[in-house]
Amino acid sequence: MAIPIEMPKLSDTMEEGVLSAWLVDEGEEVSAGDVLAQVETDKATMDLEAFDEGVLLKQVIGEGDAVPIGELIAVIGEAGEDISDLVDDAGGDGAAAAEPEPDPDAEEASAEPAPEPEVEPEPEPSGDGQLSERTPEPVPAETDAEGRRIKASPLARRIAQEHDLELAQVDGSGPEGRIVRRDVEAHIEAQEAAPAPEPTPEPEPTPESEPTPQPEPSVPEAPSYAMPDEEAAYESENISQMRKTIARRLAESKYSAPHYYLTVDIDVERAIEVREDLNELAEEQGRAKISFNDFITKACALSLHDHPYVNAAYRPDEGEIHKHNRVHIGIAVAIDEGLITPVIRDADRKGLSELARETRALAERARDRDLEPEEFEGATFTTSNLGMFGIEEFTAIINPPNSAILAIGEIRDTPVVEDGEVVPGKRMKVTLSCDHRVVDGAKGAHFLDTVKSYLEEPMNLLL
Amino acid sequence: MATLEFRTALREAMTEEMERDDDIFLIGEEVAEYDGAYKVSKGMLDHFGSDRVIDSPISELGFAGLGIGAAMNGLRPIVEFMTFNFSFVAFDQVINNAPNMRYMSGGQFDVPIVFRGPNGAAGQLGATHSNSTEALYSNIPGLKVVSPSVPDDGKGLLKTAIRDDDPVVFLESELMYGMQREVSEESDYTIPIGSARVAREGDDVTIVAHSKSYHIAMDAAETLEEQGYEAEVIDPRTIKPLDIETIVESVVKTNRLVVIDESTPFTSVASEITHQVQDRAFDYLDAPILRVTAPDTPAPYAPNLMDEYMPGADETVDKCLRVLYAE
Repeated sequence: MAIPIEMPKLSDTMEEGVLSAWLVDEGEEVSAGDVLAQVETDKATMDLEAFDEGVLLKQVIGEGDAVPIGELIAVIGEAGEDISDLVDDAGGDGAAAAEPEPDPDAEEASAEPAPEPEVEPEPEPSGDGQLSERTPEPVPAETDAEGRRIKASPLARRIAQEHDLELAQVDGSGPEGRIVRRDVEAHIEAQEAAPAPEPTPEPEPTPESEPTPQPEPSVPEAPSYAMPDEEAAYESENISQMRKTIARRLAESKYSAPHYYLTVDIDVERAIEVREDLNELAEEQGRAKISFNDFITKACALSLHDHPYVNAAYRPDEGEIHKHNRVHIGIAVAIDEGLITPVIRDADRKGLSELARETRALAERARDRDLEPEEFEGATFTTSNLGMFGIEEFTAIINPPNSAILAIGEIRDTPVVEDGEVVPGKRMKVTLSCDHRVVDGAKGAHFLDTVKSYLEEPMNLLL
Repeated sequence: MATLEFRTALREAMTEEMERDDDIFLIGEEVAEYDGAYKVSKGMLDHFGSDRVIDSPISELGFAGLGIGAAMNGLRPIVEFMTFNFSFVAFDQVINNAPNMRYMSGGQFDVPIVFRGPNGAAGQLGATHSNSTEALYSNIPGLKVVSPSVPDDGKGLLKTAIRDDDPVVFLESELMYGMQREVSEESDYTIPIGSARVAREGDDVTIVAHSKSYHIAMDAAETLEEQGYEAEVIDPRTIKPLDIETIVESVVKTNRLVVIDESTPFTSVASEITHQVQDRAFDYLDAPILRVTAPDTPAPYAPNLMDEYMPGADETVDKCLRVLYAE
């Protein structure tokens, strides 16, 4: 009995996964617990384990292919088993077709020469050839310059596809401008008849459109995406899962949560002193050194206790605001591929030493992309620190479904007025971004004031 | 080839089969003494005697059921409905008993029966006598539905229908009984059920039409030829099983299809052909499939309205020009 392996949901926010590497070849035996492949999710690269034993009969998708959760990616079963019904059902995006599919019947007769991949006969461009199977790739709904769907007969679409022709370049002569066979054929004819024209400079290509190498002289008014020097114009890079997630979640946050920003300048002179003392002790006792950021984590964690709306989530679908009973602080960590926010659970209940040790360990594993989903999910509040880059202050985008994020700037030497005299001081600016749906201005300000007092009276952090 | 009227071709089919097989008999209203309401069975009473050519009372439900019982007991009845409008009185027998008996009995009973008679509108007969039944009957699993357009097909297909071990609904036309065409003189001439006939070849547009509509299609094809378009005309001949391959093959060549079906349009034979073609040849279509059908109303009586009601060559030409984008 063949067992289909589908793309698993490996994180709360995962919608699709990229198969980054196959670790088992087709035909190899696997047992339960073996790692079949590595899957890149929006957050991390994770192992895909086999839950059954058998032979990996088929890798349905190739390395680098992205498929949505639930899509068939492999089949395990007994050697020689006919899996054509499983594999044929897979609505692959052409990835499966990229590799020649061995005839299941031919697998047993391995003495015979390798089966010829089934080559689809070259379809007649005019459409009046033999009936062949429908082309597997879905034809995207093309749109014209104004974004309206281009109307074309199925046959016209097919011929255009066979000739790598963008329908946007073809004028339709049918009802309501429908592009029909004769229009596409006339266009192709004109294209073939025309001498290779001098490329004319064209507007910047939109990155998502395929550049067409031949500018179209017969319809000059049609937008052409050719670039005279396109190779030099950019280097292309596939959008990674992580980048897609950052794009999706932060855009969603910025346009659904009405942000506003509160900045406060904190006197950190005493906190610096306390930290130095603590680290002296830490060194003597062989404990982890405490960073200034750990102070801020602790200050936020304690403050959140007194300000439940800042430690909340706006849940319009449920018609509720969830005020979290526990305090889990996400700390944004920059990594090569993007950023990730490991979560310190119950940060309000942990001592500075413990926070320091845990934060460091999580950050390290985050950089290695080795975090388990539960280590980067479930934050109730987030901090982001760019102080180490000399950023004095900045505003951060709220990490949904949090209702606030604290953006931390550098600690700077600055002249301050004390008792009517200008003296050197140590100051740090932090900016709280609040979701106005949950946190009104006064509530945000009160929270920030609490954070400020913890940091300015740092002994309170130790109590 | 002999030139015969449609009714004569049908009579030859029945006569040849009844001579070949004593188990075959003909029953229906006026089929014996009166030689058949449309003279299809003319002379058959004299030839075969009253045991095998039987006048029934005016009781469609009764004699259709009698035929099914006889078929289950080893005979091979031909049941003539004076018109298929009257088959509605026997609906339960035709759609429930005949087609389901083999299945319900686990294969213990065959029902080798032919229900035949004229179908569809035939001039000023009014709404109740102008029904086209092919869509109704071809909707029933277990029934074969045959609807020839020319005498030659009528003969060859009726012989095959009589030999079939399952119920066949054989649809003729009052308006075509007098039509004279060439009929094969081949001895034991049969045409398989489920095979379409490409009546005219062309590269520009496919027209599918059965029974009377076939002749409209051929007229339309001539008009189109004068305008420079070559229509391919396909007569499916059998509605069920439908020879969709022949139709699809043609559409793959022409990329356009017009279906003529004199039935009302909703859930009609034309709907089914349209569905199957888009399913199998979607990427070969250069235009929507158009239909020429009766409107979705009862058939009128007034002759001017009836002319409007029935599909015609002009409308067919118009629709062909539309799918050709030639308007």
